[in-house]
Order: sequence, then C-alpha cells, then structure tokens
Amino acid sequence: MFNRILFATTASPTCDSAAHVAFDLAKKYNSDLYVYHVLGLPSRGFGHFAMDARTGETEHVGPDYEAWVIDEINNTYAKQLAECKTAVIETLAGVPHTEILRKARKENVDLIVMGAHSREEDKGAMRYRSIVGSTMQKVAKSARCPVLIVARPCTTCLWYFSNIVFGTDFSKASDSAFTFAFHMARHIGSKLWIFHAMDMSSMHAGKIHSQNEIEDKIKEARKKIDEKYVSKMGDYDNYEVEVWEGIPYVEILKFAREKNGDLIVMAHHTREIDPDEALLGSTVEQVVLRSNCPVASVNRPDHADLSIE
Amino acid sequence: MPEGILCNKIPCKTKEMLNALLSDKSGKQYYNEMNHLQINTEALAATIKKTLKSRMKTWLEICAHCGMCADSCFLYLANNKDPKQVPSYKIQSTLGEIVRRKGDVDNAFMQMCMDTAWSKCTCCNRCGSFCPFGIDMGVMFGYLRGLCFSQGFVPWELKIGSGMHRIFHAQMDVTTEDWVETCEWMAEEYEEDWPGLKIPVDVQNADIMYTVNAREPKHYPEDLAEAAILFHIAGENWTVPSEGWEETSLAMFAGDWEACKIQVNTVYDAMRRLKPKRMVVTECGHAYRATVIEGPYWAGLKDGKTPVPSFHYVEWVAEALRTGKLKIDPSKKIKEPVTYQDSCNYIRNAGLADCAREIMSYIAEDFREMTPCREHNFCCGGGGGFNGLGRYREQRNIGLKIKRDQILATEAKLVIAPCHNCWDAIRDLEEIFKVGIRWSFLKPLLLKMVVVPEHLKPPEE
Repeated sequence: MFNRILFATTASPTCDSAAHVAFDLAKKYNSDLYVYHVLGLPSRGFGHFAMDARTGETEHVGPDYEAWVIDEINNTYAKQLAECKTAVIETLAGVPHTEILRKARKENVDLIVMGAHSREEDKGAMRYRSIVGSTMQKVAKSARCPVLIVARPCTTCLWYFSNIVFGTDFSKASDSAFTFAFHMARHIGSKLWIFHAMDMSSMHAGKIHSQNEIEDKIKEARKKIDEKYVSKMGDYDNYEVEVWEGIPYVEILKFAREKNGDLIVMAHHTREIDPDEALLGSTVEQVVLRSNCPVASVNRPDHADLSIE
Repeated sequence: MPEGILCNKIPCKTKEMLNALLSDKSGKQYYNEMNHLQINTEALAATIKKTLKSRMKTWLEICAHCGMCADSCFLYLANNKDPKQVPSYKIQSTLGEIVRRKGDVDNAFMQMCMDTAWSKCTCCNRCGSFCPFGIDMGVMFGYLRGLCFSQGFVPWELKIGSGMHRIFHAQMDVTTEDWVETCEWMAEEYEEDWPGLKIPVDVQNADIMYTVNAREPKHYPEDLAEAAILFHIAGENWTVPSEGWEETSLAMFAGDWEACKIQVNTVYDAMRRLKPKRMVVTECGHAYRATVIEGPYWAGLKDGKTPVPSFHYVEWVAEALRTGKLKIDPSKKIKEPVTYQDSCNYIRNAGLADCAREIMSYIAEDFREMTPCREHNFCCGGGGGFNGLGRYREQRNIGLKIKRDQILATEAKLVIAPCHNCWDAIRDLEEIFKVGIRWSFLKPLLLKMVVVPEHLKPPEE
C-alpha cells in the first residue's frame, strides 16, 4: 500500500505522535521508511549556522553536529528503530519544506508523515511556531503524494480505523482526496463519511441567506456528491453522505468528533490563501491544529489510489 | 608550524579539503593555526610588484588625509565616529603600510589587515564618491583582500566559499545534476497553475539566458519558479544553462583571484555555447558586479564586456513594464508606504538607480526614498561577505544601525530589496532590533499584481 514513506520529523516531542503512526505503518506494510530531519534554517548569508529544532539555539552545522543529531534521533526512536528494519535516518541542513519536498520527489514516496505542534509546553515548538506551521502548510500544499499530519496521539493503528471522514469543497484537488479516502476505506474496511460544509462565512460580510436558499444549496451539494463521488464507488456501500452549513473548518471538526472519525481526508487548496500572509488561514491548517485524529492532505492524483490496488 | 593543515596559503581545491574545513566547528582550529602562519614576505613583495598598478600607487600617495571620506562610511558613523574607522586611515594603516614596508610584515600585522579588510569595509565604494581625488578605498580593500588571501589570511567561511567555486563552480555544493533537477522540479510544481510553464535548459539562440544565485536552487527554489512564471507571462524566449548558471562570487569576497576567473569563465562559456541574445541575472547585487562589471577584466576580455550583453533583473523588469510585456493591475499596486534598498553593487557601482525608480512608479502608490538614496545610499550593512562571517558578527550587527535608522525615517514598513545580501541584512536587522518591518524581493510582489493574460490561465475547474 505504501512502498516508501517519508517521515519528516523535528525529533522533538512535537513529532512523537507522528512517529508512532509512521513506524507503525512502515512495519505493517514493510515500507521503506525515511526518517528525515532537516536541520533548521542555514540562512545567515553563506554562513554555517542552523537553529536546532529542539532547543531553538543557534548551532554550527557541520559533520560533527549532524552526527550528533543522528545520534539523538537514534536515541529518541531507539525502540521503534529496533523493531523497524526498513528505516533509514537522514539529516540535511536546509529550509525544511524545500528539503522535505525535494526528498519526497527524489525517492518518489507514497506518503509523507509529519507532526504539527499542538502542545504549548513544547518549548522548541513554541519558538518554532511560525516555521513549523508554515512548513506543514507548504508541504501539504505542494506535495505530490498524500501528506498525513498527526498532531495528537493516535490511539488505534491505522488499519483498525473504523471511520474515515472525507471533507470536500468540490475542487479538483478534492477529487484526489476522495480517491485516497475511498481507497483507504475500502482497503481497511472502514466506514467512509462523505462530508461537505456549505461555507456560511460570508454571513460576516453582512450577507444573509434565507432558509430556503440554504436548503436548496444543501440539496445541490448532495446531488454533486452523488455525481462526483458516489457514482465512482461501484458496489461499495459502507458510506454515508452529510452536508452541513457553517464555517467549513468548524463544521468538519464537529462532524469528525460526532462520528468518532479516526482520519480526516481533505485537499489543501492551492489557491485558497497565501500561506505567508495567513499563518492560521487555511482550512487544512485549522483542522490539523484542532483535530483529535490524524489529517491527510491530498491535492494531486499521484499516489492517491494506493499503489497496490 | 609555518603552514597549518586547514589554514595555509593553498586554496581549497578538493572535496576532502572542503570537508575538513567544514568539520572544523566555527573555524576554531583554522583560526588557531592562523596564529602560527608564517608570512612569505618575498612572495608578498613580488605580488605587490606585479599587481599594484599606477592607479592604486597614486591613490595611496596622493591621499591628503583631509578626512572627507570619514562621514561617508557607515561603519564610521555606526561606531561613534571612531577615528580608526575613517576609510583613509583604514587603508593607509593596512595596504599603505604593506606597500611601504615592501611586504616585510609579520603575522599579527596580517591578522590586523584581515580583520580590517573584512570587518571594517564592505567594499561598498561609497567613500570613493566623496573623495575630492576620487580615491576609492573599496577598490583598494578588494585588492588588500587578495593580498591577504594569497598569504592564507582569509576568514574561514570565505576559504570554504571560494573552495566551493573551485570545486562546484557555485558558491554552494549544488551540482549540475542538482541544478537541472531543481529546474525540472519547479516547472512540474507549478505547471498546474501555469499550463505550459517550462524552465528550458540549454536551448541555443534564446533571447535571454537567465543565471542565478546558488542559494536559489539550494534553499529557495520558489524564486526560480517565480522567475519562470514572470518570463512565461511576459512571453519571453528564455533558457538557463546546465553549466555556468551561477553568477555569484564568494571568490570575489574572499580575494581569491584565480577562483574569480574560473567562476566567471563558466558563465562566459555558457554564453558562447548557447549564443543567447542577452543574459539576465537574478536579484543579486554582487553577482552582477562580479560577472558583468569586474568579470570581463578577470577573464582577460580586453573590451571589458561580457560575451553577450548582460542585464540585471531590475533592468529586465523595468523594460518589461515599460514595453507592456508585464502589465500591473492598478488596483493591486502597493498602497502602503514602501521604500527601496539601493544595492551598492548594481546601483552605485553600475548606475541602475533609474531602473529601480521606474519599477517603483509602476508598482507602488506611496514610494518613499531613503535619505540618502540612489548612488549615495548606504550599504545595507552586510555587503562584501560581512553577513556570513561568524568572526565579525558583532561588528556587523553594530553596522546595521545605520540602515535601520534610514528605513525607520521613511516610515515605510515594507522594504523592497532586490539583492540577496541586502535582503539578508534587512531580515537580520529586523531580527535584532525588532522594528516591525517586512522585506521582499521583486518577484513575489510582481506576481501578486501582474495581469495574467486569459490564454495563460488554467482551465476552470
């Protein structure tokens, strides 16, 4: 299912939950696992400094430091590494999102697994705030393969998931997210919830929809879901469709909570919001930060159909 | 111990040597060895005899010590008008002294020269435009750096930097494969949003051959994509060379004259091989100075010109806006106050101040000039390699005060800095002084306000 997985990690507690999932998946599917740590920004001109992801301190990048970091990663993931023979640890100095995307492309990986800072007590993460945030956002936006973001402990193994929530806004990218969600659900044998939230955020701009208007739009959305997704599922019947109205990220979170979702699958809009301008702007980012379950961001058809099928 | 293992008179020419240097944390061993480095006074005297020509000899002799250069130097101003920061004093007490002593100097003296050449002068050449005799201390410091380098007295990062140029023909370890792969990657990355977008490699007879700063493929590949998109919108017939794509020169900052020549020749070879109508370089100041202004002389091109006409990115942007190849959506022009950092290397030293103003007239509604500006603007504070040298971090940070105050006086919160060095220095000054400004290259700003012709837009979903 996943032949090659890239686990992009800061090797700090921020990524513990993601590590759990990444190693689990690699073990289960015997995937090649790249444990990849990009040493912070070497951005002082042509100087050789980087910011350590755990301490936030400025470090001199060189073979010594890299060896030390690999050692630290080995210690951090000692238990998982002992059980997972297909894992390779690699580090590199660079701009995190650039190097993660470059590596994913080079190794043609089927899945990227990342953490997201959600814990305030994590010092490094707090200092790293804007950087990690936008790293995740930029990777999710540009990756050619699905990106699984795990911000909080994931209690069950992925293959025991029983409720996958696919959130759609009917964009082209959402088609790819659907492909991934559907194949996952079928492969694992879990229920697929196809969900759309009608965006009511224009209410804030003073535009008020009448009840009839809202209901018509909901009907329309249901029709669209039938055409776009249900028609593509063949005889698979373990699914349900729901359409709510509200602010999309709030609704999808409420919905996932109500249905005990173990995985949210959605597209990260390429043209939605300039990530540099709105750190907390995109729906994906909001969902990731607040969701109790992992979130898969899928934008492109590549690797979305799970290669074994 | 006359010659160190890392610190010696031999330039870094092999990957083994490069790795050994890189392994030396912050150059600790390197600078330690430097304390024992012996001066080859005969070689130094011979080099001076051979390379110190009449212009510099005259400059050193005719300086009237009038002190007019003092207030022109941002480091003098930033250091409470310390007399030891007067440009004329700085050069007379170093290069002047070496020449007077005919190279008979000791280790401590050479270390003082190194510290002066790399931490008290950014080779911004501002003093030269205020000297009544036209004496250019920046040019002489560039020369002094060469003398220091030849004796092994060069800051650790720059020995590495010039070594990178010798080994990779780039300031960073970006190979031809890495570069071509990055071009393909970026074209693929953006082709959905920009159908038909290409980054054509090694196409002969194109109108434009585009060259970059190795940091772009290495750390900010989006910059390359942005350049491609803008060329695409403008309908340019352009290409990048697979080799000879790197236009910067840490070798110039290092005073490694041999590597300077090696580097610019890679670019000139690409011009001869691909025969483009002209060459355009990315938003980098020293790259332009090295390859377009100084390079032809390093390469021994008698007419002082590059093999094909060469342009800085701001020249191309100004032309594209003027001719309508790029059209700005008037509603998207920058409305807030915005200022422009005049890079010494392509404004003062190459006369492109008008291009910058022309661009601003198209894209900004409230453009605020710094005072002083244009040819008289102060160095960003990080030029000549100053930004990247750990040994002189503190001195660099003191120097940034001048640029900070200049920016604050404009009351603009956005600074356009189409030069990697300036961009870095301004970013760093915000990090240090937290004055609440933003900084940007031109490309991302242009992309936000350019009119995209209908036929280039992606099909509706």
